[in-house]
Amino acid sequence: MRIAFRLNGADVAVDIPTDTFLLECLRDLGIRGCRLACGLGVCGACTAIVEGRAVATCLMLAAQAEGREVTTIEGLGPDEPLVQAFIDHNATQCGYCIPGFVLTAATLLEDGDWSDDALGHGLAGNLCRCGTYSNILAAVRAVRDGRADAAGPTPPPE
Amino acid sequence: MTTVEDRVLGRIRYASDAEMPDMLHLRLLRSPYPHALVESIDLSDLDPGIVTFTRDDIDDVEPRYGPWIEDQPLIALDRVRHVGDPVVAVAAPTERGAAEALDRIDVRYRPSPAVFDAAAAILDGAPRVHDAIATSDNFANFYSLRPDIEHNVAHRFRLRSGRGHDGFEQAEVTVEGTFTTPSAAHAPLEPHASLAWWADDRLHLVTGTQTPFNVRQALAKQFHLPEDRVTVIVAAMGGSFGGKMFTRLEPIVAAVARKAGRPVRAILTRSEEFVTLNRHPATFTIRLGARRDGRLVAKSIRALWDTGAYADSGPGVTEKGGYAAIGPYRIPHVTVESLCVYTNNPPNGAYRGYAATQAVWASERLMDRLADALGLDPLDLRLMNLLEDGDRFATGEVMHNVRFRECLESAAAAVDWRAGRRGKGLAVLLKGMTTPSRADASVEIDERGRVILRSATTDMGQRPNETQTLLAASAVGIDATLVEVAPNSTASTPFDMRTTSSRSTHMMSHAIASAATQLRAQIAQRLQVEPDLLTFDGDTVTAPGVRRYRLAELEGARGEGSFRTEGGLDPDDGQGIASSDWHQGAAAVQLTVDDETGVVGFDRVFTSTYAGRVVDPVGAALQTEGSMTMGLGTTLFEAIDFDGGLARNANLADYCIPSLLDVPALDYELLEDPASPPHGLGETALPPIPAAVGNALATLGADVADLPITPEAVLTALGRVTDRSPAGTEAR
Repeated sequence: MRIAFRLNGADVAVDIPTDTFLLECLRDLGIRGCRLACGLGVCGACTAIVEGRAVATCLMLAAQAEGREVTTIEGLGPDEPLVQAFIDHNATQCGYCIPGFVLTAATLLEDGDWSDDALGHGLAGNLCRCGTYSNILAAVRAVRDGRADAAGPTPPPE
Repeated sequence: MTTVEDRVLGRIRYASDAEMPDMLHLRLLRSPYPHALVESIDLSDLDPGIVTFTRDDIDDVEPRYGPWIEDQPLIALDRVRHVGDPVVAVAAPTERGAAEALDRIDVRYRPSPAVFDAAAAILDGAPRVHDAIATSDNFANFYSLRPDIEHNVAHRFRLRSGRGHDGFEQAEVTVEGTFTTPSAAHAPLEPHASLAWWADDRLHLVTGTQTPFNVRQALAKQFHLPEDRVTVIVAAMGGSFGGKMFTRLEPIVAAVARKAGRPVRAILTRSEEFVTLNRHPATFTIRLGARRDGRLVAKSIRALWDTGAYADSGPGVTEKGGYAAIGPYRIPHVTVESLCVYTNNPPNGAYRGYAATQAVWASERLMDRLADALGLDPLDLRLMNLLEDGDRFATGEVMHNVRFRECLESAAAAVDWRAGRRGKGLAVLLKGMTTPSRADASVEIDERGRVILRSATTDMGQRPNETQTLLAASAVGIDATLVEVAPNSTASTPFDMRTTSSRSTHMMSHAIASAATQLRAQIAQRLQVEPDLLTFDGDTVTAPGVRRYRLAELEGARGEGSFRTEGGLDPDDGQGIASSDWHQGAAAVQLTVDDETGVVGFDRVFTSTYAGRVVDPVGAALQTEGSMTMGLGTTLFEAIDFDGGLARNANLADYCIPSLLDVPALDYELLEDPASPPHGLGETALPPIPAAVGNALATLGADVADLPITPEAVLTALGRVTDRSPAGTEAR
């Protein structure tokens, strides 16, 4: 089947078998920041943002991306505050899981509940076997704190 | 050179990203039986475009490989020895095509009796896993092996010091205990991946490995090539933790690439990871005797290591775990018998914490039981017996640069030990660093005036490039921004034993320093001055009475350095030099238990590690926190659930690794000595964690002897659960 969607701001169209998962499709399109690790949607290494939501592309059929906006780490530049915060906080060891964390964190920071608890639970769907969690949390909190300062003394309500 | 930015932005390329035009994708058909004769293999239903490799294709290549013992077949020969043992390799132009081909192969097996437990495997009459084994001549194997193949023993390590068992005559109080550690998965998020191709009878590989030179030597032997016709290009790894060591996928990928005449790549699936290499399950039975005042007098250690169907690193694990269980203590009379035992489980090998995890769990739990029996404070008991500079360890070697006391006192202070011990636990460890060992490195000025560092230290996320860039910059006397690390390939990188044992920072600091000294001498020669007179400023260098040179003008100036350590232990009496430099550390925890659920809550998790001199503070912190995180996983929930040799939880939904919510606040101290060389930090904070937690739980009435310490195990130890099978479940 032929599907078309927006990938990192550009229109793409591909011919794929109907049972192709989005991860396989993205990698065929040259995306390398989405990575297969568990294949069960539990580790987050394959995360992409689809229409504003972080999804496990190892579980989502490519056909479900038809007409949608898909963002991978390749769509975020080094100037992105979250990317810069991960770099500044050395929030990586091997790095295999890190794009997934960045993308998940990007969606969490759009959600409005910016408490430590909400961020912790929101990021718990991404696994880092190297154990980089404290630096990852520090990076995400730094961006949150920056935005909270910009938005005023309290996080915006829902 | 890969930067932090490359990693965050996903620009880094791992072995699993390597590809070539016309590349075929390899998949392996694996045995469903733990032990069986392979009666027939029917490939007749396969499409002609599928390349296959079976035992019938083994003609002019060595059929087996292995770092210590060449016991692992390239592909199943007469029989399979564990669930997941590869029987047929297929390669197809697409991954899908290769996967589908597996379903079209018909293999007939005749199952044989199998054995899954090391204690059962060594008994007379147990099923034999191997009929004969051959010792490897790979440089991984640097000491004599003591196999007893009729009893499934791949290697026996023994140590005896003082009067051995007879020393217990002097003991006034004796305690004894048996402690177990289960198998665990390395679970790097990037699975094993290798790409191989042949050109002009030369073999090329891009692979994720911690051991490029061991792999090169093994493949040269496998295909009867001189070593310079095998090139191992080391890709960055998405984690390894000991799992990507020695030859794993490389032999079969290379063999199929040769038959196909095309490049072949393999990436393991997650479930295949669980049948490829895991951590050794271990059972330690230890007897420990002391005088009534607390002075240790005798210790006897018996350890059984289940190495699975193939020995892999088992002999090394057996030796290191054997002496690690003695602990960092003065004990006049010691015996160790440590057995590496074949079973029909998947192979087990190196795993972060290399044998010390299992050994420290047992020995440090028993130390607290001895303290109880003596009515002594466990901290005082340890302090009274700790090795100090100049003491002889049970191996006979004289200890130097000893910091156990500082580590332990730092840990005790972190939990305010003297204010009350309830809910608190301590553990201290001694862990060897591979000895003998050799590391080479080179530095060379290129046409841009950059200093190119060549080091075979592999990158699995531990920031070796950052660390060694700093080492090279400081040794040469230039700014770190002028140093670049060259790509890691056996064709162009000087020899290094391997990236294991948390040895690289220490060993390379010496090798790089000596390479830098040579480079400075060459520069000085060109400037016709003494090396001490050189002054570097940015990318220039000068000396009194000499004009200022741009480094680019000195293109080609180079230095080579090598650092070697000598030693090794006699396998029969354990005497010799176990470690040229010791990993030293301690852990302390403070915790509570929820009496209803058995869930452990941490108020404090702390480690103290001897660091020599920290080179890269970022990497030191990350490696320490990573070790502690992995230690908590091992302590609380990580275990592969084997049933008849079959891993029942071979995926990351059923085999859980720590998530952010599982990890409490971690705190640590890195003990430095500016006068000492750097010391590796890749593992040391892991092994003391389980015992510290176990000791803390014992103060609350939960004396646990088996890892992991699940909530159910805590409730059982507290006497709140008597039947461990959940209510309502049927018997299997």
